[in-house]
Amino acid sequence: MANKGWDEFEIGAMLRTFDGSIDDIAGTAQEDRSYSESSSYRASVADWRLEKPVFNKDYCIDCQFCWIYCPDVSIIARDKKMIGVDMDHCKGCGICVEVCPTNPKSLLMFTEQADEESEIASWPSKDEEK
Amino acid sequence: MLEIRWHSRAGQGAVTGAKGLADVISTTGKHVQAFAFYGSAKRGAAMTAYNRVDDEIIMNHEKYMEPDYVFVIDPALVHTSDVTINHKETTKYIITTHLSTEELVKSQPKLEGKEVYTVDCITIANETIGRPIPNTPMLGAFMKISGMYEMDFFKESMQRVLKKLPQKIVDANMLAIQRAYDEVK
Amino acid sequence: MAFDKMELKDIEVWDGNFAAAQAMRQCQIDVVAAYPITPSTPIVEGYAKFQSDNFIEGEYVMVESEHAAMSACIGAAAAGGRVATATSSQGFALMVETLYQASGMRLPIVLNVVNRALAAPLNVNGDHSDMYLGRDSGWIQFDAYCPQDAYDLNFIAFKVSEDHDVRLPAMVHQDGFMTSHTAQGVHTLTDDQGYGFVGEYKPMNDMLDFEHPVTHGVQTEEDWHFEHKARQHNDLMTKVMPKIQTAFDEFEKLSGRKYNIVEKYDTEDADVAVVCLGTSVETAREVAKEMRAKGIKAGVVGIRVIRPFPFFEIQEALKDLKSIATLDRSNPNGAPGMLFNEVAGCLFNTDTKVLLSGKVYGLGGRDLTKAHLVELFTELQANVDAGKLTTPQQQFIGVRGPKLSFL
Repeated sequence: MANKGWDEFEIGAMLRTFDGSIDDIAGTAQEDRSYSESSSYRASVADWRLEKPVFNKDYCIDCQFCWIYCPDVSIIARDKKMIGVDMDHCKGCGICVEVCPTNPKSLLMFTEQADEESEIASWPSKDEEK
Repeated sequence: MLEIRWHSRAGQGAVTGAKGLADVISTTGKHVQAFAFYGSAKRGAAMTAYNRVDDEIIMNHEKYMEPDYVFVIDPALVHTSDVTINHKETTKYIITTHLSTEELVKSQPKLEGKEVYTVDCITIANETIGRPIPNTPMLGAFMKISGMYEMDFFKESMQRVLKKLPQKIVDANMLAIQRAYDEVK
Repeated sequence: MAFDKMELKDIEVWDGNFAAAQAMRQCQIDVVAAYPITPSTPIVEGYAKFQSDNFIEGEYVMVESEHAAMSACIGAAAAGGRVATATSSQGFALMVETLYQASGMRLPIVLNVVNRALAAPLNVNGDHSDMYLGRDSGWIQFDAYCPQDAYDLNFIAFKVSEDHDVRLPAMVHQDGFMTSHTAQGVHTLTDDQGYGFVGEYKPMNDMLDFEHPVTHGVQTEEDWHFEHKARQHNDLMTKVMPKIQTAFDEFEKLSGRKYNIVEKYDTEDADVAVVCLGTSVETAREVAKEMRAKGIKAGVVGIRVIRPFPFFEIQEALKDLKSIATLDRSNPNGAPGMLFNEVAGCLFNTDTKVLLSGKVYGLGGRDLTKAHLVELFTELQANVDAGKLTTPQQQFIGVRGPKLSFL
């Protein structure tokens, strides 16, 4: 986009999601779609994060709350099963952690540099007071 | 250029009458204009409507008019409105009233010396159409006074203009037009 | 076809509103979203009736405001439909925010603006305040002088607006009541002729094209906003006028009725002329003819396309005149007046020595009489005779009290 001349862009406040045409968009998973450079899917906001969500699938009940509430469509779910977080588009807002209903939570926020495997290994246990 | 001013109350059908007349005249190849003055007029408020007729295309859009004919289709307006405003020596008046022309002029000295015709469009409309809508009878009276068209042609044209109404109402309007034609003095 | 055609007489006695509604029917608009307001109400009412009587295959969307009406039109146009609506005055004012969206998104919507004064004081009658309010919004603006124009210019507006090299929305202006509620003979097109002229709608970047998904209404900050706006201005300045001329030419072939970007009447050998808009153009034409019988060589310049402004055409039309007056039917509120300013701008870097004065008239539907125009042409001739302006540059016509003049 930045390389185009001032009068080379298409008219209107309009951006194409794909270069050329696409078949069966509804039946194609995001990661298999060839998004155009002007699609926001190609733009990473990973560097916006100070904290990141870590997903522990041992406690997840696939309720889809995080998928529904995520404001950046960054929860990856397939066949109604939670798979993980799209770390290119997650801004680290923590809403997924807020809405997670399990005990202990299946998503927790850690600093960006935290090691996922060790954090999962030392995951908090069930909070008996709840 | 033939110019007509209608004095009416909103809801009595002056606009419809003016447009209907324009429609009929237009079919004879003449150029027409029909318009009205509106305020935020409610039903019953005094209002005026206008016709212009000419052999040439009409480009004059001023509202000011020195009319050749003044139609007064509500009986009270001759007493309460300035129906002679912007008149000419030759302006003719057709006024709805239950009074005779002599009685009317006597009660309204401003009409003295003017060419005044009277017809009771309200009674005619009530007795034919069943509602006090005096617009079509006024046109019948106008045909008589102006001699503009043969009645057969005019009634045939008005049937076309009114064709969206139920046949019974159209027939009643034809009767009203004929009665006003016969009764105007 | 799933809808019925309508038989029309060669000449129908229609007011400007009904003429516009009939043109919208014949163009077979897909979506009208409207919030009716006097004096434009009968246009959308007419469309709704045609639609419910099966003369149109389309949707009438009822909304809660004019802002919502234009927003729905923008959505429908982005989705890929032929879209139109109508409004006036306060409704137009409420629409203004969305007008810029429509033009910036390059969506071909036709808006019938039945011109009416802006409150306060509240007034339902005709002046050009709302027309002037839209003049920087990026829309093409056509001006009708009578019901016939209102009918014809709707077809032309769709044709130009929907052209893929243009893709800008267009307004068709007509004077509130003086055109919108004045019935006159209107030469009609048949349904096939009318639809044939505008042609089947050709979508562009439509959201319902699932093979080419697009995002409409994106955000740009200082990195791209200026380029988008500059492109829009560039297209208005260079692409639109030739397309309008082509549409006028094609329409003349179809109907025999000739429209010009700037209408010149009796200006060829004229000494004096008025430059104006709307019904005043026709009244002034009649008076100009009468002035010639009195020995004053008078002419009239009517602006048919207000935006883009016909800079060179105006220059050409006025260059040989000796004294002219611009007639602004909108309160300049502290300035000389739109037409005065635009016309002065056209003439400034030229050799013309024409004397220019500006008149403000007709606010809130105040009558512009033939007597006013006789006085005005006489005054312009006095300027010619004196070789200079004999009056202040700005004068009010038809307002009570001592003559109001400024500058």
